[in-house]
Formats: sequence, C-alpha cells, structure tokens
Amino acid sequence: MTDLATGNSLTQYLTLDPSRRRELYPAFRAEINAMCQGGRAEEALASLRQAVSISDDYSTSLALYRLLKKARAAQEMGETTNTKPLKLAILGSYTTMQLTWLIDLFLFGSGVDVEIYQAEYGVLRQEIYNPESELYKFQPQIALLLAGYRDVTQFPEMGASLATVREMCGSELEGWQQLWNLLNERLGCQIVQNTFAVPAWDTLGHLENRLPFSMGSYLGRLNQGMFDDAPSYVVLHDLERVSAVHGKWDWSDDRFYFDAKLPCAPEHLPTLAHSLCSQVLAITGKSKKCLVLDLDNTLWGGVIGDYGLGGIVLGQNDPQGEAFIAFQQYCKRLKERGVILAVCSKNDEANAREPFLQHPEMVLRMDDITAFFANWDDKATNLQRIAEEINIGIDSLVFVDDNPMERGIVRRFLPEVGVPEMPEDPAGYVRALDRNRYFEMVSLSREDLERSQMYAADARRKAKSSSSVDLDDYLKSLNMTAVVEPLNDVNFERFGQLINKSNQFNLTTRRYSAADLARLRCDAKWFTRAFRLKDQYGDNGLICVVIGSLGDEALEIDTWLMSCRVLNRGMEALVMRHIHDLARDAGLKYVAGEYLPTAKNAMVKDHYQGLGFEKIAESDEGNTSWRLPVNDDETRWPNYIAEESN
Amino acid sequence: MTVRDVMQGLFQEVFDDPDLEISDELTADDVELWDSLEHINLIIATENRFKIKFTTAEMSRLKEHDQNVGSFIRMIESKLSD
Repeated sequence: MTDLATGNSLTQYLTLDPSRRRELYPAFRAEINAMCQGGRAEEALASLRQAVSISDDYSTSLALYRLLKKARAAQEMGETTNTKPLKLAILGSYTTMQLTWLIDLFLFGSGVDVEIYQAEYGVLRQEIYNPESELYKFQPQIALLLAGYRDVTQFPEMGASLATVREMCGSELEGWQQLWNLLNERLGCQIVQNTFAVPAWDTLGHLENRLPFSMGSYLGRLNQGMFDDAPSYVVLHDLERVSAVHGKWDWSDDRFYFDAKLPCAPEHLPTLAHSLCSQVLAITGKSKKCLVLDLDNTLWGGVIGDYGLGGIVLGQNDPQGEAFIAFQQYCKRLKERGVILAVCSKNDEANAREPFLQHPEMVLRMDDITAFFANWDDKATNLQRIAEEINIGIDSLVFVDDNPMERGIVRRFLPEVGVPEMPEDPAGYVRALDRNRYFEMVSLSREDLERSQMYAADARRKAKSSSSVDLDDYLKSLNMTAVVEPLNDVNFERFGQLINKSNQFNLTTRRYSAADLARLRCDAKWFTRAFRLKDQYGDNGLICVVIGSLGDEALEIDTWLMSCRVLNRGMEALVMRHIHDLARDAGLKYVAGEYLPTAKNAMVKDHYQGLGFEKIAESDEGNTSWRLPVNDDETRWPNYIAEESN
Repeated sequence: MTVRDVMQGLFQEVFDDPDLEISDELTADDVELWDSLEHINLIIATENRFKIKFTTAEMSRLKEHDQNVGSFIRMIESKLSD
C-alpha cells in the first residue's frame, strides 16, 4: 500500500483525468526522482507505466520519457528483469529519433517492453538490401517502414495517360513488394508499412482526384494497390487516413521537415507514435477486447432510477438525446465487428434494464450486452466480475463512465483497464473513445463478426464475490470537504428539487412543496440541513438533504435523501455524525429514523442497520423504525470527509 | 514575468535540471543535453509557451555558433513586440 503521507500527489496524478494533471506534474516528477534515488525503481516504473497518456502534449510526453530512462537506469543498477523485450526495428526516411522515444514510451505504457533498433536517417532501402546491415544483426520481430510521399521514386508527368500511370504505379508497388519479400525471407518478421499521406496542397484543385496523373490520385492509387495486394505478413498503417483525420495542414509543419526532417508537426508526433503502437499491440495480441459502459449520463442523459423511462434524455427530439444515440450507434458498430459490450452501473438491476427492454429509441438492446452488472458495489469490483464472467483478462477491458470519480477509482485499483477521459458534453463521447485506438486489429475474421453471440451464449453468471478492493486509502486521498448549511434563500430551489425528485436513496420519499418548506424553515421544532460535497475533481454541488425534528427524547429524522452519484464515499457517515451531534448538543437521548419502502428505494432498506441503529418496529407493509442511542463514541462512523459549516 | 523568467523555468523543464541557471552567455556547448534534438524540443516548448512561431530562417539561425541564450531571448522579445 502506498504511504499516504508521501504517496498522495502520486496517487492524485495517476487517478486524475490526464487533462487535469498538468499542475501536479512537478510534484509527480519529484516523487519519481525520489523513488529512483531511493532504490525504488520498480515502483517508479509502475507509476510511470500508469502515467503515460495520449492526452499529453509533445513536451510532457518527452519529459515522461526522460523520467522513464532515469527509472530504467536506476533499475539496471539493481536486479535485472527476466522478461524478454519485443524487438522492433524502425526504418524511415525521416528523423525518427523523437518518434522512437515516443513509441518506446507508449508501448511501455501499454505494458510492452521493447528493444528498438533505429536505422540511420534516410537509408531505408539500403538497410533492407544489404544482407550485412545492422538491421539483420538485430533480428527484429516487427519492422516499421515509415515512408512518405518523398520516398516515391517518380511521379507521372502532367497529362500522362491512364495506361502510363497504371504502369508506373505497378512498378513502384513492385519495388515495395521486393523490400517486403527480402525482409520476410531474411527475417520472417511482421512488417508495418505506412500508406502515403497525400499532402494538403494540390495544384489541380477539384480535378486533383479526378485526373489520374495528379500527385493526389497517384498516391491514392499506390495506397489502394498496397491495400489490395499486401501479403499477410504486411500490416498497413493508414497514415493517409490518420493525417486526414487530424487535418492535413495541421498535421505537417514543413518548417520542421525542412529544418529537422521530422515526419510531421511535433505536436502530432505523439499521435503518430500512438497510432503505430496500437498496431504493434494488435500484432502482439494486446488490443482491448471488451467495452464496459456505464448507463446514467453515459448511454442516456439523467438518472433512470430517479427520472424513470419518460424522464431520461435519449432520442431524436432533443440535441443531447441525439448525441447519446450517436454514441450508442458507435458502440453498436464496435459490437458488430467483434468488440464485446458489457454494462457496469450503479443502479437497481430492474431500473437499469428497463430502457434496454422498453425505451423505443434505445439503439443497444439486452442481446447486445454480454455481461450486465447493475448494483451498488464499487465499479472496480464489478469490472473484475465482468472479466471473470466473460473469461478474459482485466487488461482486455475498456471502461467508459461520465463520472471522473468512478474513472479515478478504476485507474487506482485496476491500472491495466483502459479508462478514457470523457468530456462533459455527450457530443464528444465518440471522439474521446475513438482516439484511443483501443480495439485495433490486423484482420477481421468471421469469428470476430460472430464473437458477441458466442460469448453471450457461453456466459454463465458466476457467484458474485464480495467487494474485493480496499477503498479506504483512496477515499482519504480525495481530500473531500462537505459544506453543511440549513435551508436558505440560495439553496432553496435545489433543496426543493431534490426533495421532489429523488427516488432511490430516499428513506421516506416525503415530498414537500415550496410553501411547506418555507413553513418548516420558520418552525423552531424543525431543522433542515443541506450538504454540498467538494473533492479534488471539483464541486459536486448540493447532494444531500436532511429534515428532522427535535422531540422530548429523540431527534427524529423525517427525511434523508442523497444523490446516488456520491454513494459509498463516506458521505453517509458524515451526515450521520452531524445528525448525531445535533441530538447530543440538544441534550437528547436517541436518534430515530424510519424506512418507508417504495418501488424504487430498495437500496436503502438496510441503511440504518448499517449505521448501527437498532430496529424497534416493523409493519406489515415493510415500514421499519430504528433507534440509535446518543453517546460519545466517535469511532462508530469512518471519517473521510472534513466538515465545514456556512 | 519577463521573457527571461519564463525561459529560466523552461530551460529547467526541457533539460530536466532544476539547478540550471541561464545567463546571456550560455550556449549549447555549455549544457550537456543541449544537442540538436533537444534544441528542437526547446524551440517547440518556447513556441507553445509564448504562442509564437519561428520562421524557418530563425530556426536555423538559432543553431549557428554565435548564438547564445541572450540572442535567443532577444529574438523572442522582438517576435512578441511585432
């Protein structure tokens, strides 16, 4: 376990979304340096492995690589590891140094250690032709051929006939085929070959793609030729597509080609390296296999348990509803090509299933989902269950959740799971997931197309293990603060909204109108409390409401409700302690509570029992009454959250 | 913060050396890691920090032997005042 006193900034850095880590980088770097100097190189390497992210810019990625080199050097002074690194050769007609560093970094981040041979700048063909070259001494398992349009031996003249163009194209492709053959004969290695990125400019305008002799159409023809005829030991890295996706003017910054022969603009080097790495991972069978989806605010807008089928945002009559549909369609397409879909949601199972079964605009249906876990346990535990049920490794999972807190928990406890940073706007979900290239593959088989059905038919629900991760020190590392205040003019509206909308974590489901609340506010016998929760991810807003009255002997809790978003974070304990202290300060002997069951609030049936109350009555309808003696035992409830009052 | 202050921090970041102190006279020869590759990284970090773009001519000028941190800072300042 990490020592909290020293490990806090490290934990924070590794669990936060990459775009929010920047400020913490100096502290992170200091921790890694301290580990390297303190004989804890293994720990430094493990942390660095987790820190690698495609969201980092060029300078940050290089800084991480420098730390990686330092940690490796420190490790070599200690014991050496036995794992055999993957041998990778990089042959390019560019300066590939920076790219090599980044490839090393990203593969390391994906758990693959590599040994890289880098050919001298610009001698791609010579290295392959010469049987005595260093390349053959190195004996790579995978060779990356990073060619650009400047490596094409000749281009057709303006006005050349289609027949001439075809002939030229054929002989150009033959040249590349020869290089591949030689590599294959002499090394038997897997080859990754770039397609040619067509430059941003054209000289023929809209005729560029129409006239076969233009540079654009010629490069397109060469690319198509490679797609059609590349042998199975050649994987094509579609640089033409990658550069187009990022915008061609942006992709190439010719200053850095003229000055330093970089293959693309420096800020896109991490993208290029990551894209190549995703194919290396596919070749070595390390691509992700299963996409695990949260439900509320991930597949639809709003909370199904509170808003019901008619209340969630999904469908064509609402712009956000369309965004959720688009994301579901993307997931469905992934499923159709062989990615397994699973659900992991904090919900009552019946509520969670309802949209899949009943909502007319849901794209994903129950038979698209291979493993369905909706309960109130922590998500790290549920992800382990999902992996077990489908019978794949934890490292084959990708976890998509709109809630940064849930993402943090999974990064903390299951660092091998892919956890993309999701934006707040659902319109950005597809891009956020897609850019990670988690599910890259080198070929598509019939088996891929039928995979989901196979798993679905095969899936057996295994006995649920109890929560197996220890959240304790994670919760402490979140630096949570709760602000407690009575009902006032500022929180009045949100207070009322929660009272009248919350269904799940709601002990009594008593609804109060604005007029009722205004009366309660003036009555000395009653008290009201609103709780806001802040943590390192930001302000969660007003998430809990308590209303109670002070009797002769007991403080009676009339209403206690909470947003499910902050479940299992120690909020229940903080609220309990606050209520208890109110009763104590008023000189009362007991705290009394009741649970009134509804169709939606089964999750809090045992709420008071869990807090140490004693059951004193139960009616035929299942209403239960509970009592807790007031005393000075401060240790009854865990203390993760600092309380502030307003 | 002056350009010099910003560059002081940036040099420490790029060369991963919290003790590195810059002066006008400092040249690539004085800093162990300051080779042609790190020079590119320095240029990219500088461009991003100040939101400026060096021209191709400026980029190659910065590599010449009479250049030092002082002339680098003056070039940034003149670009910022354009």
